[in-house]
Amino acid sequence: MTTRRGFMASLLAASALPTLSWADAGNPRYLAAAREPDGGYALFGLGAEGQDTFRVPLPARGHAAASHPHKPLAVAFARRPGTYALVIDCADGHVLHHLALPEGRRFNGHGAFSAAGDVLHTSEIEAETGEGIIGLWDATRNYRRIGEFASAGIGPHEIARLPGSDDLVVANGGIRTAMDDERTKLNRDTMQPNLSYFSADGELLEQITLVPELHRNSIRHLALRADGLVAFAMQSEDDAALAPPLLGLHRRGARPVLAAAPEAQQMRMNGYAGSIAFSGDGRQVALTSPHGGVVSVFDAAGQFQEMLTRSDVSGVGTAKDGFMTTDGLGGLCRIAHDTLSPLNSAPRAWDNHLVTLPV
Amino acid sequence: MKHFSFLIAALTMAACPAAADLAKAVDDHILPGYAAFADSTASLRDAAAESCAPQTLKSDWNAAFDAWMGVSHLRFGPVEEEGRSVIIAFWPDERGMTPKGLSGLIADEDPIIDKPGGIKDVSVAVRGLYALEFLLYDPEFDATAPYTCTLIRAVTADLADIAADVSDAWQNGYGETLRTAGAEGNSTYLTENEGLQVLYTSLVSGLEFTANERLGRPLGTFDRPRPNRAETRRSERSLRNVALSVAALQELTDTLVDAPIPETDAAFERAAQTSAELGDPTFASVADPGARLKVEILQQKVKAAEVAVLSEVGPALGVSQGFNAGDGD
Repeated sequence: MTTRRGFMASLLAASALPTLSWADAGNPRYLAAAREPDGGYALFGLGAEGQDTFRVPLPARGHAAASHPHKPLAVAFARRPGTYALVIDCADGHVLHHLALPEGRRFNGHGAFSAAGDVLHTSEIEAETGEGIIGLWDATRNYRRIGEFASAGIGPHEIARLPGSDDLVVANGGIRTAMDDERTKLNRDTMQPNLSYFSADGELLEQITLVPELHRNSIRHLALRADGLVAFAMQSEDDAALAPPLLGLHRRGARPVLAAAPEAQQMRMNGYAGSIAFSGDGRQVALTSPHGGVVSVFDAAGQFQEMLTRSDVSGVGTAKDGFMTTDGLGGLCRIAHDTLSPLNSAPRAWDNHLVTLPV
Repeated sequence: MKHFSFLIAALTMAACPAAADLAKAVDDHILPGYAAFADSTASLRDAAAESCAPQTLKSDWNAAFDAWMGVSHLRFGPVEEEGRSVIIAFWPDERGMTPKGLSGLIADEDPIIDKPGGIKDVSVAVRGLYALEFLLYDPEFDATAPYTCTLIRAVTADLADIAADVSDAWQNGYGETLRTAGAEGNSTYLTENEGLQVLYTSLVSGLEFTANERLGRPLGTFDRPRPNRAETRRSERSLRNVALSVAALQELTDTLVDAPIPETDAAFERAAQTSAELGDPTFASVADPGARLKVEILQQKVKAAEVAVLSEVGPALGVSQGFNAGDGD
C-alpha cells in the first residue's frame, strides 16, 4: 500500500536524487551525530577542515550513520537499542524515509550500503533473545524491507562492505542485553563474540573467533582498508587491569593479529575502544578510548606507535595526512605527524562516531 | 570559520563568567600536592638506600602514601603519560597480580632488576606503592633478604623518578597549560570550560572511587562481606585513605569553586566527621552484621557528597561529566 507520505517521498526520490551528488551537500567529508546545548540531537556534515556543511535534527540520541556510495544520502541510526533509522537528504536536510522495523526488532546503531547503493544492510537484534539479524532494505523502492539473514552471532554491532565487492563483514559483539533497559549485560561469562563475513545474499563465508581467554573481548567496530584489510576494535568485559588487546587486524583466509600497547599504556584505554579508522595513507590505524581520554595509533601490522591525549575523545575518521577526531567537549582535532592539534571547537557534544564519507 | 567558533566560545564565557578559579586550583592544590609526593617518594628512596629494615622504612612509605592520597584523584595530564598513574597505584588488584608477581620475581631472583632501569620492564603490578606495601608488611616477604631489598630499592627509585617527572612537568608547563585553558594557542584546553571539566571530572570520579572501591569492595554484600578486599589493610590504612581522599577532594573543591556551595560544604564535613568517628582502620567490622552499618553509613556520606557536587558544583562551574567517557556502545 502506498501512503501519501511514501508517495511524496518516492516522488522526491525519483525526481531529485539522480541529479544530485555529494557536492550538492557542500562536499562533506564526514558525518557525526551530536547533542546540542539545548539537549536536542542532530546529525552534522563536516568538511575536511572540520567546518559544518549541514545540520539535520534527530528525534533522539544518534549513534552512527551509513553513507550512500554516490548519492548525497545518509542513513542515521539511533543509539542502540534503537527504533529509528532515517534516510536523510544531506543536500537539503530533508528526512526522505523512516525505516520501519519488523515487530520485536531493534537497530543496533550501524548499517552499510551495497556497492551500487541499491541495498542497505542494517545490524539488528531480536529484542527478546539478542540473536543477531542483518536486515535488507531496497534503497531504490522507498527502503522497503526486502529480506534478512542471521548475523551468526549475538548482538551484531558494526557492519561494513568489503571494498570492490558486495561481501559484508559483521562484528558480532556477543553481548546479550536485558529486556527491561535493553542495555544491562546478561552473559558476560558465556559471551562468544565473532567476526563474520557474508556474501550479499547472506551466505556465511568465514567466521573468526578469539582464543578462549579473550572471549570477553566484544568485537564491535570496524575499519576497512581499500585492499580488504579489516581492522576491528574491541571492548573488554574483563578486568581492565589485565590490559587486554583491543585492536585486531584480519585479512580473509588468514589468522587475526591482535595488538596492544605496552602494559602501562594499554591500561590507559580502560579496556575500551570506542571507534576505529585507518589513516589516509592506510599505513596506520587509530583507536579511541573516551574513558581514558586517549587515541592509540598502531601501524597496519599491529605495532604500537603512539598514544595521544584528548578528553572524552570518541569519534575517529580518516584524513589526508592521518586522522580526524571528535569529542564530547565539541572539539574536532587532526592527528598528523605524531601530533594531535585542534581544528575547531563547537558548542555541542560529539557522539560516538565520526563517519568518513566516500571521496 | 575556525576563528568564528572560537570567538563565539569566548563571547559566551565573557557574558557568563564561570564561578571558578582554575589558577587557584593549580597553585594551591595541584602543584603543592605533586611537590609533596615528589619529596616524600625521594625520602623513601633515600631511606631504602640506607636500609631495607621495615621498621624504619614503614614511616617513609606511609608519608609517601599520604602524599599520594592528596593527588590520587587527578587522573589527567602528566601523571597519565606513559601510564604513570597505574604504575604508582596498581589497585584494585582483582586477581592478586601484585603478590603473585612479587613472589615470582623473588623466587626466580630475576636479575632484570639489577640492570639500570630494568624495573621499567617488569609488570606494573610489581611496581609502585601497593607492591611496596606487600614487601614491607606481608609476612610472606622478608624485606631484608638481599634480593628483596634490591627489589625494594629498585621500586622506590622508580617511584621517586616518576613522582619527580610528574611534579616537574606540572611546574614547568602543564600547570600553565591548565591555568590558561581557552587562551589563544592553548591546544590542550580549547576553552576555559574544558579546563574546568577535567577538574570537575576528577572530583566526581574521586568521590565515586572512594565510595565504590575503597568502601564498596570491603563492604561487598550483607551476605558476603569482603574484609580482605580492603585497600592497604596490611598497613592498616584503609580508613585513613578514605579520610585523606575526602579531605583532598574537599580541598580541590574549595580552591576551584568561587561561589557559595553550602550543601557541598556540609556534605564534605559530614563525610569527614563520620570517618573520624569510625575507629575501624581496616574495615574488618564489615563482617560483623551489627557493626558494618557504620561503614555503610560512611559510604552513604561519601555518596551524598557526590550528589551535592553533581547538583551544586556542576552548575556553578557550568560543566557536566563527559558525554562519551561515562558511557559505552
